[in-house]
Amino acid sequence: MLSYLLRRSLIALPSILGVIVIVFAMVRLAPGDPAVLLAGEFASAETVERIRERFGLNEPPHVQFGIFMRDLVQGDLGNSTRTRRPVIDELARYFPSTLELASAAILIALLIGVPAGVISALRPNSVADVTVTLIALIGVSMPVFWFGLLAILYFSVQLGWFPVQGRGTLAHVVLPAVTLGVSSTAIIARMTRSSMLEILSQDFIRTARSKGLRERVVTNKHALRNALIPIVTVGGLEFGTLMAGAVLTETVFNWPGIGRLLVDSILARDYPVVQGAVLLISVSFIVINILVDLLYALIDPRIRYD
Amino acid sequence: MKTLRYLCLAAGLGLGTAWAQPLIIAQGTDAVTLDANDATDSPSATVISHISETLFKLEPDGSIVPWLVESYEVSEDARTWTLTLHDGITFHDGEPLDAEAVKYNIERLTDPDNAFAFAFLLAPISEITVIDELTLELSLDEPFAPLLAHFTHSSTAMQSPAAIEAAGEDFGDNPVGTGPYRFVSWDRGEGVITLEAYEDYWNEGPEITEVRFITAAESTSRMALVETGEAHVAVRVPPQDVERLDANPNITVENTSSVRTIYMYFNALREPTNDVRVRQAINYAVDKEEITEFLLGGAARVSDAPISPGVFGYTPVGEYEYNPERARELLAEAGFENGLDITMYSPSGRYLQDIQIAEAIQNQLAEVGINATIETLEWAAYLELTNRPPEENDVLFAMLGWGTVTGDADYGLYALFHTDQWVPTGSNRAFYSNEEVDSLLDRARTSTDPAEREALYAEAMQIIWDDAAWLFLHSESQLTAIRDEVEGIIVHPTERVLAYNARFR
Repeated sequence: MLSYLLRRSLIALPSILGVIVIVFAMVRLAPGDPAVLLAGEFASAETVERIRERFGLNEPPHVQFGIFMRDLVQGDLGNSTRTRRPVIDELARYFPSTLELASAAILIALLIGVPAGVISALRPNSVADVTVTLIALIGVSMPVFWFGLLAILYFSVQLGWFPVQGRGTLAHVVLPAVTLGVSSTAIIARMTRSSMLEILSQDFIRTARSKGLRERVVTNKHALRNALIPIVTVGGLEFGTLMAGAVLTETVFNWPGIGRLLVDSILARDYPVVQGAVLLISVSFIVINILVDLLYALIDPRIRYD
Repeated sequence: MKTLRYLCLAAGLGLGTAWAQPLIIAQGTDAVTLDANDATDSPSATVISHISETLFKLEPDGSIVPWLVESYEVSEDARTWTLTLHDGITFHDGEPLDAEAVKYNIERLTDPDNAFAFAFLLAPISEITVIDELTLELSLDEPFAPLLAHFTHSSTAMQSPAAIEAAGEDFGDNPVGTGPYRFVSWDRGEGVITLEAYEDYWNEGPEITEVRFITAAESTSRMALVETGEAHVAVRVPPQDVERLDANPNITVENTSSVRTIYMYFNALREPTNDVRVRQAINYAVDKEEITEFLLGGAARVSDAPISPGVFGYTPVGEYEYNPERARELLAEAGFENGLDITMYSPSGRYLQDIQIAEAIQNQLAEVGINATIETLEWAAYLELTNRPPEENDVLFAMLGWGTVTGDADYGLYALFHTDQWVPTGSNRAFYSNEEVDSLLDRARTSTDPAEREALYAEAMQIIWDDAAWLFLHSESQLTAIRDEVEGIIVHPTERVLAYNARFR
């Protein structure tokens, strides 16, 4: 088990390195100068030049990359050009809230999506199935931004049930998590439906039923457990996406997340923070993938990693 | 929840004393730094203005009053300024504000190694001599009249030298000034900054003991905060929301002029915009009144000069009324009777309704035979493209805004129209060049007679206006939503919300 984890982590290293190189190059190839943005639109050329020197932006790219890698190996991600604070601190500040929101959203998605998908699959083409399918279709195609704003206008402004923004209590998490979780709920519901339908048509289900097992036992113990593998796969992928791709939800609810930090940093051409955030996101994806693989083994004892 | 709040409000009525309730102000973006010398954006300057104070103060009506300075004298040759400070002013760390501290602050801002963007404001000061505890002498190589206005700029605010030395790079997170409010905390993740009243404040202290700045980037969410009472003030109300918010019995939307002028500049070096007739034609072809009325909901004022009212040296110098006939005539004179093609650049989301305004201009130009294509770029790329030296710069026609935040015409004209200020050196992206204007601007910089300076600026602006150096559009107004339980909020023309005179009704 341990050797498996070690092997997986080592295999991940080249892809992380690849991500670092690509991001490093892309963010510098984009037009726009961090020094100009820092100096503000009213600054003189001389001021801009001084700021460039101060942040080592005058060095040729390969030298900058060398410095970046040298610091990275020592666990130093450099300092933000925008706030001048260590990038590590910035990430540490945003990461927990990102995790909190993504976990709440995926939890909602699983709690609603899986049962809805199962109900759909048990009675294909029934009213319930069509309803779930329709709602899922709307959920996937609904603009997050619009949904979030409507939720604020209705639940916060009209009814006064939840605060408009902020963090700290459960009430603060509800609206952003629901907003963020809508499309994942829909995707998980669809995935559950198709996966369940496939399993339900297999021979062992017929055997289980002919043994006279109760329908509930057949569904939950025999069918759903076998249908879980693709659901867990999709759930894991969705979770990764929610970690990094929650920019719109984070903006609407002013939620301090990595996604928004990344976008703000790109707009400010804050190279060190962009690099650090992308690195963190890639590592998160890899960790989630490993966790998903470990879950497979829990769900299906036939899958072993030693 | 709501009922509870009203009960609290009802209970609070008639108390009229200092409230323990915090005053909450919602801004569009979080502050970047609270180090006055280092800040270049309005949200930072807004917060800093409560913590750290300047030697002189720019009042909302454009007048300048001595603030930390009790009195000052300017020598006959205008090269020596003597400042005398109020006695008994202390920083929040208990250190005194004396002549040494002022010297330290000016030197810190102008030190080239610090690379502060606003160092140029005080760069004309060549030497600072401490005379005694409260008096210092500033020497200038050349007379520099705008200095007084520059001393009102929030980046020249006085901060505790001891605290700066102790905090080093972290001073921007732990600012220490002499202001009515002391810094308490800054949650950068959520963009929440908390300040509390400074008990040893040298002047009349504030009534509200705690002020909190929160961040809401999305304007609908920001307005919702004021509607639910989670914030008392929200900046930058979208024009389309004004009517709805004003209809709310608890909210008033204040419309305050800003020193930010919005314009589209012409490239004076390249065809066809190097022809004054083409530039004038475009000015006649665009209906500025319509733009301010329909796109900005009245939250703007049609320009009648290159700078806005509220700036020292502003004088109305003319108008290009909407006259498509005249525009067509001028185009024909310039040899474009069959129209012309031009690319216009506009940022998107940088200024109030910017891209919508560009589209309106495009339509109006089409009516006089000018076929304009709109190009928009993300802000960083936009700045870079418009900032190239003349030989590499093929932007002919582009929208920008300029805030004359010092309150002095020099800042709004010199960097934008003087030949020495062509990009990438200065901010003259139009490559405008006129010897007469240069000489007027130079003289207005060194003259010590305010009346003479005003006359010189009026003359310079008249030439710039007749030359149609820009398509002159409008100056923006600030729309601020304020809940009725708060009074005394000042929305300053320099785009800062000031809460130190506020109170709860």
